[in-house]
Amino acid sequence: MKEKSLWKKITGSREVSLVIVLIVLLAAVQTLSPSFLTATNIAQIFRNNALTMLMALGMLCVMLTGGIDISITSTLAFSGMTIGLLQKYDILHNTFLLFLIGAVIGLICGSINGMIVAKGKVAPIICTMGFMYIWRGMAYVISNNAWASGQDVAGFSDFGKDGAIGPYIILIIAYIIFFVVMKWTKFGRQIYAVGSNKEAAAISGINVKKTITSVYAIMGMLAGLAGVLSVSIYASAQPNMQYGKEMDVIAACVIGGVSMSGGRGTVVGTFLGALIIAIIAKALPLVGISSIAQNFVKGVIILAVVVLNVITQRTMDKQNLSRREI
Amino acid sequence: MAGKSGREISATPKGGITKILSWEGALILVFIAVIILGKSISPNYTLNNVLREMQKYLPEIFMMFGMGFILVLGDIDISVGSIVCLCATLTCIAANAGVPFILAALLCILIGTCCGMLNGFLATKFTELPTMIITLGTQIIFRGIAEMSLGSGGSVSYKNSKDIAVLAKKIGPFPISFFLVIILGVVMITVLSRTTFGRKLYAIGSNKTASYYAGIKVQRTRFLCYTILGTLAGLCALFLLSALYGANTTTGQGFEMEVIAMCVFGGIATTGGKGNLIGGLIAAFIIVCLRIALGQINMNTQLILVIIGAMLIVSVLIPQIKNALMPKKQKV
Repeated sequence: MKEKSLWKKITGSREVSLVIVLIVLLAAVQTLSPSFLTATNIAQIFRNNALTMLMALGMLCVMLTGGIDISITSTLAFSGMTIGLLQKYDILHNTFLLFLIGAVIGLICGSINGMIVAKGKVAPIICTMGFMYIWRGMAYVISNNAWASGQDVAGFSDFGKDGAIGPYIILIIAYIIFFVVMKWTKFGRQIYAVGSNKEAAAISGINVKKTITSVYAIMGMLAGLAGVLSVSIYASAQPNMQYGKEMDVIAACVIGGVSMSGGRGTVVGTFLGALIIAIIAKALPLVGISSIAQNFVKGVIILAVVVLNVITQRTMDKQNLSRREI
Repeated sequence: MAGKSGREISATPKGGITKILSWEGALILVFIAVIILGKSISPNYTLNNVLREMQKYLPEIFMMFGMGFILVLGDIDISVGSIVCLCATLTCIAANAGVPFILAALLCILIGTCCGMLNGFLATKFTELPTMIITLGTQIIFRGIAEMSLGSGGSVSYKNSKDIAVLAKKIGPFPISFFLVIILGVVMITVLSRTTFGRKLYAIGSNKTASYYAGIKVQRTRFLCYTILGTLAGLCALFLLSALYGANTTTGQGFEMEVIAMCVFGGIATTGGKGNLIGGLIAAFIIVCLRIALGQINMNTQLILVIIGAMLIVSVLIPQIKNALMPKKQKV
């Protein structure tokens, strides 16, 4: 009996199956290219994908409420560009203050998104699509089509340069906070409640509009932070930075088992989803597949994961039905 | 007339004063305002100039019609930009390898159709999945295939540019693509508003289950709509080639959002079952004419996008504001 419940736990849990996928993936890559699992490589995987991993947390919250936010990379560009310009014109060089300003800009952008989605009852994809144009455009307008070069952000980029621990610390702190908040706090559970059933959540006394506004605000804040982080990691700020990368963030969540209709998804799953995408991107050239094929492989994996998920769900439903038959 | 969910079924015919006060009526006023604005801020805003500059935006409007169908169904397709990229890339490569122009053009449209069919197949076989996820996957795959066929260079140019330039020719001041927009417009608007097929789309968009029980072949209709959009994306790629003479990895990037913006601004709701293509067509011309006008006074391209983004958000907020201002209608 006990064995059966353990088996059920393994097949039933998305996280466990993701871990298995991850282990198989790592083993395969490691046998094909023994130099893969080194400390430098692993550190690089995290550094190169820090932005996606950070924003995936916010996207998890937004998708849990049944929404989506495609304006995040525009918010990122707006915040990152502001930070770049503040240093270019020698207004501010304090790393902590720059991060704070970036986060506040993101928070404001996100709150506006959230208010329009929650109070204006606009479809999230349409609202954030509008802001995708607006924030990206604002990044161009404030920069006047120029960009902040490595020299301009010289002192600041030490925070995220190759070998510095800055990005890792931010990632670890963010993941710990989100893990705790989503699992054990009232606010975290409210997000799940709103995503599972809005009416039921409202009747049981949850302020649905406030919850929705806050998840978009959190998303914006993380995107703002990611903007600052991006400036420090890549040591430059351009208005077109990370263009189109919002789909990577959504893909990481989807692979991690976050449901697009809301209510389902975990922090651990999101992390594993982002990690799988990151490892594939890093491993392809090592196993002899040209990096040109990267996007193709990524797309196939996304589709394969979601389709497999549907198929397992169907067979499970069928089994449950047949068990009930006498 | 209100549906079960309180949603108004806009396919219900209206008449008299409500027709003028409708969304389409407002859009026509906005369109006139944009033309007046263009005339007053730029001396070059003449019919000839506008039509010449319009040529690079017109192919996107082809896709607007197909996207309108998809949105009325309550679905979404964010892979069209990548389909355009794939079609343009493969057509260039085929034409450079010596395939005659007519065959290459057909190939372009055929590839688009196949891509649309793939989307439709996945969307109808795995109905549990939101179409956004499916087309997110195919979006990455289609562009991935284009990237692989482009190789490390990342771009390809159309060698026999004389052939493809035929499509960029003009009849009087009007480019060929303009006539195509009008023809497609008449056909697609008629199909959506005057045929059983169009009515089925509204039914499915309003309530899938009810339409299924009413005997509508829901999945076959959806499949057909994705295929139509794919075909139109191929057509768009063909006319884009006649203006760009080549393709690269970023061709068509962001088209899906621009096309969806045209539809939504035209009053087609992403929740399905609402809106019509006349609105979408007027909205498309509003956006294009505004872009040209602001472009002529050398306004920053990105600032123009800010204005379009703001217009989009305001337009979707208007029904909400109207509801708040108007006294609540009596419930039956």
